[in-house]
Amino acid sequence: MAILELEEIRRSYDRDLALKGVSLSVEPGDVLGLVGRSGAGKTTLLRVAAGLLKADQGRVTVFGLDPWREPVKVKRRLGYVAETQAVPPRMSAGELIALHRELYPSWDGELERQLLERLAIPRSKAIAHLSKGEARKVLLLCAIAHRPELLILDEPAGGLDPAARREFLELSIELLASEGSTILFSSHHMTDVERIANRLVVIERGEKIVDSELAAFQQEHCVAVLPASTPPHAERLRGVDGFVRSRARGSSIHAVFRRDPGELKSELRDRLQLADVSISRLSLEEMFVAFVGAES
Amino acid sequence: MRFQVNPGDELPIYRQIMRQVVDAVAGAQLKPGDKLPSHRELSQELVIAPLTVKKAYDELEREGYIQTVRGQGTFVGSEARGQTAAARVERLRPLAQRLLHEAALLNVELERVQRLIVEESGRLERTRGGNGAEKRSK
Repeated sequence: MAILELEEIRRSYDRDLALKGVSLSVEPGDVLGLVGRSGAGKTTLLRVAAGLLKADQGRVTVFGLDPWREPVKVKRRLGYVAETQAVPPRMSAGELIALHRELYPSWDGELERQLLERLAIPRSKAIAHLSKGEARKVLLLCAIAHRPELLILDEPAGGLDPAARREFLELSIELLASEGSTILFSSHHMTDVERIANRLVVIERGEKIVDSELAAFQQEHCVAVLPASTPPHAERLRGVDGFVRSRARGSSIHAVFRRDPGELKSELRDRLQLADVSISRLSLEEMFVAFVGAES
Repeated sequence: MRFQVNPGDELPIYRQIMRQVVDAVAGAQLKPGDKLPSHRELSQELVIAPLTVKKAYDELEREGYIQTVRGQGTFVGSEARGQTAAARVERLRPLAQRLLHEAALLNVELERVQRLIVEESGRLERTRGGNGAEKRSK
């Protein structure tokens, strides 16, 4: 059974449609990296998934339950860290942790102790006086010490310096190795997604445009680079099987295809008589840009 | 051996790991029977998901490079099985092409390239302690 099931979720803010019918299914053990441009609808989707924001239409099922009918049952088994989280500024890290300890029956005191030590969290300091990285660690501890079956993280490494980001990544990896956690997280760092996730979901303007096993997504695509000086390439390329997008870059055209590189090369050469074409693989970041970047 | 991965590369991370194991087996830095790090160890060392290491190991095992013994760990296999001789030779073709391109650029004749390969083969043989290719050719 899926841990989280979103079906045709629609949600708008005033007149703006933030989610236009997104469906998503998260299986146990999935580590799903959610990427998209700013404003694409990632935070809205995560908040709907965590039962913090009600969808206008569509169905949300978490652990087989409706989070709006059984909010306590669902929230007890869930961990969530928002991108920006309001915390009473004078409260100390220790007090915030104690509050969470009270809220969750499944709170693991031993794990709390280990994490406090591991993360070197200054317990007596007021949250407002912690660095961004330290505050994030406290919130992360609060979200995982009750051993949630599903962890939802909105931009967990956003705004962290490279060392703090790395520390966060290392902690996530340890968590994955020891608990086999199911994680749904959003990120702007494609390299972080590549390190942690096994599944990639891309949303663009409120719609899901990619949902794939991560390595497969990367391996299924390639880019053809041809000189811009020999038109009319654009129209002809569009007609080729597996065409995704093309962009002009300097004196070349870069066209992304969902095709086997060898097959594509012979088709472009033999059928379209494009001799001067080179075909290569793409990094995940380049793929992201190809999928959601401006088209030209 | 020391593994290294580079997220942001065109090659998926699990493929990078596979390539390093295959190269290390080919270059005799890894010998049959050598133990590989566990999923957990390698995942923590490289800061990548344990599932990614598992995927790399599963593929390597399928291709016959490594073997997992339950409760004991993962070991380098006795030889690269699971592929036909023709397929194994075919894997070398891109490397041969690359070598010849470089040789042409540097104006090195084919005969000299062939000699270079023989020289390097002899050196490799010595570091392997005389087993490996010699045994196999008999």
